[in-house]
Amino acid sequence: MKVLTRAHKKIKDLHPHEAIAPGTGLCAGCGGLEGLRLGLKELDDDFLICNAAGCFTLLSVYPFTPLQGSWLYTTMGGPVPAAQGVRDALDIRMRYRGLEEKENLQVIVVAGDGSSNDIGFGATSAAIHRGLDFIYFCYDNEAYGNTGFQLSAASPYGGATQTTPRTDEHEAGTEVNKKDLFEIWKAQKPVYLATVSPREPIDLSNKFARANELKGPRMFICMSPCPTGWGFEPKEAQLIAKLAVDTGIFPIKEYFEGEVVHTVRPRKRLPVEKFLERQKRFRHLFEPHRQEETIRQIQNRVDDYWRQYE
Amino acid sequence: MWRIRIHGRGGQGIKTASQILGSAGFYSGFQAQDFPLYGAERRGAPVIAFTRVSEDPILERGPISSPDIILIGDETLLNDPQSAPLCGAEPSTVVFVNSAQVPEVLSQKFSVTTTNLTDLCFQYLNHRTVYSSALSAVGARLLGNIELECLLRAVEDELIQQGISSQLLQGNLDLAREIFEMIQPVAVSQREEKGLTAKPLVFPSQLPVVDGAPIILDPGNMALRKTGNWRVERPEIDYEKCNNCLICYARCPDGVIGVAPDGRPEIDYDHCKGCLICALECPGHFIHTVKETGTFP
Amino acid sequence: MKTKIMLTGNKAAAWGARMAGVEYVPAFPITPQTEIIETLAKWFADGTLQGKFTNMDSEHSMFMAAGSAGATGVRVFTASSSQGILHGMESLYTISGWRTPMVIVNVSRALATPITLEPDHNDVMSTRDCGLIQLHAETCQEVFDFILMGYRIAEDPEVCLPVLVNMDGFYLSFTREPVLIPDEEAVRNFLPLYTVTQPVFQASRPMARASAVFGGATYTSFKLQQELASRSAEKCFNQTAQEFEKYFGRLYEPVEAFHLDDAEYVFVMSNSFATKGKSAVMKLRRQGIKAGLLKLRLFRPFPSEAIASALGGHAKVAVIDQNLAPGMGGITYPEIVTSLYDREDRPEKILSVIGGLGGKDIEDQDFMAIIEHLDKPDMQTPLYLYDEGDASGFSRLQQIAKLKEALS
Repeated sequence: MKVLTRAHKKIKDLHPHEAIAPGTGLCAGCGGLEGLRLGLKELDDDFLICNAAGCFTLLSVYPFTPLQGSWLYTTMGGPVPAAQGVRDALDIRMRYRGLEEKENLQVIVVAGDGSSNDIGFGATSAAIHRGLDFIYFCYDNEAYGNTGFQLSAASPYGGATQTTPRTDEHEAGTEVNKKDLFEIWKAQKPVYLATVSPREPIDLSNKFARANELKGPRMFICMSPCPTGWGFEPKEAQLIAKLAVDTGIFPIKEYFEGEVVHTVRPRKRLPVEKFLERQKRFRHLFEPHRQEETIRQIQNRVDDYWRQYE
Repeated sequence: MWRIRIHGRGGQGIKTASQILGSAGFYSGFQAQDFPLYGAERRGAPVIAFTRVSEDPILERGPISSPDIILIGDETLLNDPQSAPLCGAEPSTVVFVNSAQVPEVLSQKFSVTTTNLTDLCFQYLNHRTVYSSALSAVGARLLGNIELECLLRAVEDELIQQGISSQLLQGNLDLAREIFEMIQPVAVSQREEKGLTAKPLVFPSQLPVVDGAPIILDPGNMALRKTGNWRVERPEIDYEKCNNCLICYARCPDGVIGVAPDGRPEIDYDHCKGCLICALECPGHFIHTVKETGTFP
Repeated sequence: MKTKIMLTGNKAAAWGARMAGVEYVPAFPITPQTEIIETLAKWFADGTLQGKFTNMDSEHSMFMAAGSAGATGVRVFTASSSQGILHGMESLYTISGWRTPMVIVNVSRALATPITLEPDHNDVMSTRDCGLIQLHAETCQEVFDFILMGYRIAEDPEVCLPVLVNMDGFYLSFTREPVLIPDEEAVRNFLPLYTVTQPVFQASRPMARASAVFGGATYTSFKLQQELASRSAEKCFNQTAQEFEKYFGRLYEPVEAFHLDDAEYVFVMSNSFATKGKSAVMKLRRQGIKAGLLKLRLFRPFPSEAIASALGGHAKVAVIDQNLAPGMGGITYPEIVTSLYDREDRPEKILSVIGGLGGKDIEDQDFMAIIEHLDKPDMQTPLYLYDEGDASGFSRLQQIAKLKEALS
């Protein structure tokens, strides 16, 4: 097993620098913002974010930017090719036009799960295929959050969204399973691939620090609890994130040089209900009557996953 | 025509309040129109919604710049320059504030009514502070031309559409009824139409591309925008007990908890949105929460 | 050293990009454009061109990469056509709003449905409102020249917009004719290697670009700036054209007048079929009919004044649109009419003509039919260039398409 550098061991090791200034219009308690904040702490400010249309569009609203680095708003399906253009242009200027190495930028794509799994998916696959040197940060709040929480390919089975509501005919709400973006990306063998949670800042920071040293496609999927869309009090965002890990619903792992390693393992997995019952999007699984079969299916899926690694 | 503007925060039912009021006006036989203003901001951020009620066809659309009635669901908005709930108010404008007492400066300028809706909502709505029914009841009663049964029908229709539980619906109906009976109608005078004058239009001049395209050259200037006004409750660190573990610093999504030179965590209240993650996550429970109250400048 | 060689329109475009010293080409193939990017791919691969050629995954991605590279300070070229233009449409609007320079070649091809390979102008017309500068070429030489001029216009500090050079598929793209390639020194004098005229992405200059706006007033401000920049490109075009003439001896005006002076009948055309129009004008004149032709060259910004001056005082005008907006007719027709509305000497008749759709030829007899139509007292508009042969041929196809049904 490859052992990666682990620079950080405790909270106090986190880099004190904040690359994202406060004042943004993102929701109070946004899990995705916390993930990006911790991740950017590990890079220096010489970065450019190519942003996909989504919640994080609100990071920079003219004439304001929260970033110490650069920002390019693109389109919902366009952040990755935009990253390609910037990367190529910098390489050209450094190779042929005398641009100094210190002018180089770490090119980052920031996209939600809708862009990542759906409309921007093909372009991302193409960029991994081309070996684009970039960091991809997917904030996964499991639906189209910016438009009010509609089904994306990342929406979980059994959750309700605005376009897969719970009805008598469709008791589970969402009746299809979340796309396994990690496995799909892994099939293309990117240089580095990891899932992260804002509730695991040491793990997240180490992974970003590691990714920062590598070249090529480096992909992150960040579990992003969403108070607005998932239906919980903002203060519970980190608690929900913790339960996602502790129930085993969201595995924290990385893929590097052909191997998958779970970097944070739940010691004893809690029943999935502990995660589900705190969120309005799953309330129909418990009220007006308990949907045993749906809950069991969610549990079985989690159990099946971990059985591979136990 | 009567123009009602409703101010509150994302998540407080402000849009629904405008819709209940619109439906109540419609059920009372009036022409009605309602509409929310969606800004960039999210849960906790100031929001505005509008209702127009009229005996004649409504030939207006969009935001109401000079309202007859202003309903303010959250008194902390009074000193918020972005929300500016009193903008466009004239001496004849009726202002309602969800508050235990009338801010003195306000009462000198406007006809002001207050009621502590927060406590009432808490009581009727199972500890929730969603003002949709309460504010619409206030508005309906202030107008004085909307029947109680039309209001209650509107509450029921709008809330059922949102999938509310029957228990909570009953709470809302009881709440609306109580407020309706508590408030006194005011005489909202119809304003005279002013003669039209032309706007002074200008021909734009061409700017260099750095100004003419959306380009921002001041990194981190977002901090100029203060999101502290989103807060309903404020986290306060008990420094007597705080052991500087910095969990709060690590967990703050907006990065508004800094580390002082002596290693203590410090909250930037100009920007803290009041998500209260820090209070919940503090291992020793050394961060407590205090309700923000409006102070009128 | 300057040379004159036989080149297709596509090869002329590739040569234009080469002589312009392009540094970056994000590309995606589509007929009839592919020869352009194949040629450039080879030149980047063998070191003839310095920079990078990147095979992209779609036109949507390709235009996005082109725009972001432009915002990072390199000279960018790309090409597309037809369905590709439509697929990239979101990106085209986006990058023109970024105000980053580049040159795009569109090789016109008709749009589905039904799908076809042959040309008309609905593809380029669909980009009419994107905010691009547009130059339409009649000859392979114009394709080459417009690319060099295009970079001067796109990179002008007052303009800072992508320039689209249009040529017809097949009729230019695959057609060889002699093209004069000037020597590199002259090109460099006219178009120096790229130096940026706006802030570009690099570490020492952090910036946010294309951020969201809220509120119609801010949005309007930026859109009006784009409008002013685009309008300023007409002056820039004229200045560039004069300098181009100084170096290379060919003068391009926003519109080209062909036998206009005493013309009683004027055809308004663009792109390669203007050649056919010119030939018809000559034949008509030999028959004693005073015909003339106005060729549109600069299409965005729309040179209303130049068009109105050229058409004012002529009795009868036919605007031949090789495109169709169903339910409305020709797309350029209302633009031409609008240009003339204020003029006292406006033509007594302006006819909208729809022809050349999906590569359908426009023949000499069609021009005569237009003249006759213009002479009718109760002239109906639009006039479709569709004859009895077309109708009977179509009827035969229909019979085949349902032969089995007819037999059963």
